[in-house]
Amino acid sequence: MRTPLALLNLIHDRKKFLTSLAGVAFAVLLMFLFNGFKNALYDSQTQLLEKFNGEIVIINRLKENMFVPRSFARRRLYQARAFDGVEAAFAVYTSDARWKNPETKQTRPVRVIAYNPSEPVLPTADILAHRDDLTMLNTALIDRRARAEVGPREAGIITELADREIRIVGTFSLGTDFAAGNGNLIMSDQNFLRYFAFRGPEEDERSFATVDLGLLKVAPGTNVQQLVQTLREQLPQDILVLSKDGPDGFVMRERQYWEENTNIGFVFSLLTTMGFVVGIILVYQILYTDVADHWSEYATLKAMGYDNLFLFGVVMQEAIILSVLGFIPGFLVSAMFYNLAAGVTGLIFRMTLERVVSIYIMTFIMCLVSGAIAVRKVQATDPAEVFGL
Amino acid sequence: MKRVPLAWYNLRHDRTRLGVAIAGVTFAVLLMFMNLGFLGALVDTTTNFYNQFNGDLFLLSPESLEISTTKAFPRERLYQAAGIEGVERVMPLYAEYALWKNPETGVSRAIFVYGFNPNDPVFLMPELQEPDGLRALRQPNTTFIDQRSRPEFGPQTIGLETEADRRQITVVGQYSLGGGFAADGTLIMSDQNFRRYFDPRPLEQINLGLVLLEPGANPQRIKAVIDRRLPTDVNVYTKAEVIQRESIYWIRTTSIGFIFSLGVLVSFIVGTVIVYQILYTDIQDHLREYATLKAIGYSSKYLFTVVLQEAVILSLMGYVPGLILALGLYELALNATAGTLPMKMTFFRVVFVLGLTILMCSFSGLISVRKATTADPAEVFA
Repeated sequence: MRTPLALLNLIHDRKKFLTSLAGVAFAVLLMFLFNGFKNALYDSQTQLLEKFNGEIVIINRLKENMFVPRSFARRRLYQARAFDGVEAAFAVYTSDARWKNPETKQTRPVRVIAYNPSEPVLPTADILAHRDDLTMLNTALIDRRARAEVGPREAGIITELADREIRIVGTFSLGTDFAAGNGNLIMSDQNFLRYFAFRGPEEDERSFATVDLGLLKVAPGTNVQQLVQTLREQLPQDILVLSKDGPDGFVMRERQYWEENTNIGFVFSLLTTMGFVVGIILVYQILYTDVADHWSEYATLKAMGYDNLFLFGVVMQEAIILSVLGFIPGFLVSAMFYNLAAGVTGLIFRMTLERVVSIYIMTFIMCLVSGAIAVRKVQATDPAEVFGL
Repeated sequence: MKRVPLAWYNLRHDRTRLGVAIAGVTFAVLLMFMNLGFLGALVDTTTNFYNQFNGDLFLLSPESLEISTTKAFPRERLYQAAGIEGVERVMPLYAEYALWKNPETGVSRAIFVYGFNPNDPVFLMPELQEPDGLRALRQPNTTFIDQRSRPEFGPQTIGLETEADRRQITVVGQYSLGGGFAADGTLIMSDQNFRRYFDPRPLEQINLGLVLLEPGANPQRIKAVIDRRLPTDVNVYTKAEVIQRESIYWIRTTSIGFIFSLGVLVSFIVGTVIVYQILYTDIQDHLREYATLKAIGYSSKYLFTVVLQEAVILSLMGYVPGLILALGLYELALNATAGTLPMKMTFFRVVFVLGLTILMCSFSGLISVRKATTADPAEVFA
């Protein structure tokens, strides 16, 4: 069997090896972190939209993103229901309201999402479990992942929403986004009217005449794209009909708005790139030290007849071993940081396979680049010179 | 006799390694600068416009979080403040979002609208001091538009006619203010027009109260008096305080503060690891020499000093290029984002990062030095 020279070189000094791994791990962490922030900021904008039940979404033409409080006439929803292939139409009402933290008595704006509780608008188990409780007077569910500023997030809390008493009868898990920076409440449409129908003149008054989001449930086997096209042609132009998923869908549209209108992408891509460069420096430092330490051994190998390609192979193997072994702890620590950040910010940090793989590829390239720089030194080794000292 | 600068010689011994070490520290420094720079730029954009508000003291509802999430309060509070000695003038400011229609594409976008009484010198921008412009603002359905509004709002030339909240509107002037984090664009209109566009909202409810003091009046003292006299539904702030209050809001209660602070922390740790690696390798390589020094009578304290000196030299040598690169990247970021990310180097940040860098290097020095101080000559040469 061939001697695994690369590995033996690396583990020769255990302590140095561990530090090396720590170095790679930290470069990995940097890339994961900044990339994670970018993805979290984008993903969080659409997580509520993804959870909505329905294949087609109707919004006011002016509602460019979830931040814009524009609603449309509810009769459009009834009109849409008459089309072939539309099985059900759900009305969703949203509004921002001041929530009083029951402990500090400070108010924070939260977003209220309201709909008829007998309709499966947000069909997650924790929300469905409280369907009946929501029909009670002045009740709501609170988001467990709302920011800490709203106070305790648990059932049984009694406080004020929009200067009116509210009782929390259950919790659900969603998280924050730009339009709901502190968190969300879910209530029935009837309660929504109680809170938002008669507000002061400086606030918008709401009624069932207008809806913020309309969801259409489509019969199985229907061509969604075709139905969207038909609805667009036949319904008045004051609304926008979008499929929920797909490249031109409602969810992608929201994400694109934030991608195009904020500096998030620029800021975090720049930081990720810098993490990558730091990684190159770190790994180079490790490999260079190794090469310098084994200078005479490499020269001996050369004198014995091993060619440059072999030495190149050894250094590259070291680079690859470092990338793999450093990536694992880096990944684990990053996962911990993701958890911490998700808990504090209420943003959603998704560690998808694709993201993990792409960061690994970056790590791999990082190690390869460092290896390629470090190896030049080995290749320049002249046995005569080394031993001539 | 001049002392041999051992720390420096040790570092200089292997030039390549020194170069890499400096590059490592440089990048750690650069990362810290960038994270702080982004955070600072974001916070600056959220509060910059206050510098164009002509007020010594500001009245705000305690329930207001920042300029775009204010709770309106009664205008009477402002008049009550006007009666206090030392107050020269009080001015109400109204704020609300409207939908602005891009006249070219027909697409509407949320724009932030300020309403003020054109007789009040609420804004400091030169365009709002000219009598002609103010006269035009007093006409029905007219507005000034911020030149720094995003291009998605469409052409912003004077004379342009379009719609705001489904009501015809004419642009009669421009100014430069910036909308901060909460707004992509801003409008300034007269309070009478504000009333028209945001009907039925009455002008008795105001979002921000500006107080001008008589020359020579002590703002802190008058602030205390207003605070005492007025009910608790308003708070009084000086300009510096109101800017600080909103900065804190953005840093503490939104994700951005957390994100960039974590960025700085991780950069710090990475820097520590890099420097540790350098110093550790150095000590490892010179273990015999260190042991010899000990054998000839140098104390552990001396070795300790040498390693710490190396750490400080590294931190300084890495800091300077890091600072220069950061200045370049700040400029680049400013240009790449078309001025929407005003990255500015502040003196505080220069000092703060320098402090962090020295701390980072010393910290690595302290961890790695243990090996040198425990070097036992007998063992090494055995």
